[in-house]
Amino acid sequence: MSSSAGSSGGAIGRSLGSSLGRSLGTLDKLIEALRCLPGVGPKSAQRMAYHLLQRERLAAAQLADALSEALQRIVHCQRCNTFTEAEICDRCASGKRDPSLLCVVEMPVDLNMMEQTHAYMGLYYVLMGRLSPLDGIGPKELRLDRLIERATDGVVREVIMATNFTNEGEATAHYLSELLHARGLKVSRIARGLPVGGELEFTDAGTIAQAMFERRDY
Amino acid sequence: MSGRQRIDGQIAWVLHSYPYSETSLIIDVFSRDHGRLPLMARGARRPRSALRGVLQAFQPIELAWFGAGEVRTLAKAEWVGGMPLLGGAALMLGYYVNELLLKLLPREDAHPALFDAYAASLQALSRGEAHESRLRLFEKTLLKELGYGLALERDAASGEPVLAGRHYQYLIERGPVEASSLPDAPEGAPVRSIRGKTLLDLAQDDYSDAQTLVESKALMRRLINHHLAGQPLQSRRVFIELQEL
Repeated sequence: MSSSAGSSGGAIGRSLGSSLGRSLGTLDKLIEALRCLPGVGPKSAQRMAYHLLQRERLAAAQLADALSEALQRIVHCQRCNTFTEAEICDRCASGKRDPSLLCVVEMPVDLNMMEQTHAYMGLYYVLMGRLSPLDGIGPKELRLDRLIERATDGVVREVIMATNFTNEGEATAHYLSELLHARGLKVSRIARGLPVGGELEFTDAGTIAQAMFERRDY
Repeated sequence: MSGRQRIDGQIAWVLHSYPYSETSLIIDVFSRDHGRLPLMARGARRPRSALRGVLQAFQPIELAWFGAGEVRTLAKAEWVGGMPLLGGAALMLGYYVNELLLKLLPREDAHPALFDAYAASLQALSRGEAHESRLRLFEKTLLKELGYGLALERDAASGEPVLAGRHYQYLIERGPVEASSLPDAPEGAPVRSIRGKTLLDLAQDDYSDAQTLVESKALMRRLINHHLAGQPLQSRRVFIELQEL
């Protein structure tokens, strides 16, 4: 009874390719390898493999080269944890940024979005994920100790939590803020509410309700 | 079986969700009349999907679905609301409660009483009300609904009523036995004895005594671990690791 209760949807269709138990041929190995990509199941992986071998042999070679080069050369920035080829990325090394501000985001795409705003001139820390207890992602998996070390370098005065407004993003922001508060840092959270130009009539009820719960003096 | 019937207007909560294919989501939901079941939410991960905000855990939603297989297809999801989102420490308690349901509640078993207890617990958590007693209340309802109801008011060996002033050992799947009547610690490591008062308070859902809270937490943890049969609770592990930082 408890075994069926514990099964998860994530495993659906997982073992189609390799259920026969024999050793994999080269083609099967390629198909298996392609399945590591997000959203790629056995069918798509097979299609990709045939496509690469049949029609895009040159592109496939370039892909293989690019992948192995990236794996060799791209590392995590020692200061902000984003991907970089140098020990410290250009942004962290630039003297034009305010080093007393540290903005914590979940993923590099979030950092890019924040940069597009031109609203922020401090430095970043990229978590490369978020706390997700039910998926087994905790402080060890996220290496939160490294962020704490980074934020307590003596230069950072304020840490801005810009994790997503999902439950996981909120949990991450909450626990990080407790840990950083305890170390004497000022912690803030980006605001949430209606989008710019947002009209109540066309906004979803959940957003309006939370905006009401979190209303502020004006 | 039920065929390809469509279910409409079900109040439900998302317990957890898993990405599926490029843009879809499989949500594990707990509904009042159909229990816990997985639903495929097609396109829910598209950038502008209206479902993105609705299919979050810890908020009541109204669902419609159809299909006959193990994973039905979500037809409609509407925000119901009426409570603030969980924040801060309450979030971790919410994950704990959800994980208990994911690991202990069999699929497609309706448990309206447990559903109501779950909804009441989350409402209370969202208002920041006494967390500990809320959790004990929920755990007690969960065990009862799963058929492992607690025997609290009678000595399982003698059949006598439990007395507030005496001390008991709680034997799993049997109930409390007065500590002095047991010659040796049963089955392996000795278990700390529990006050008769705690058992009676627990039976009445009265958590005003601090010692009752401490002892009932330990008792519930033992019982829940027993029913989890060795499955670790991720939310508990993450919570402990966060405290250690």
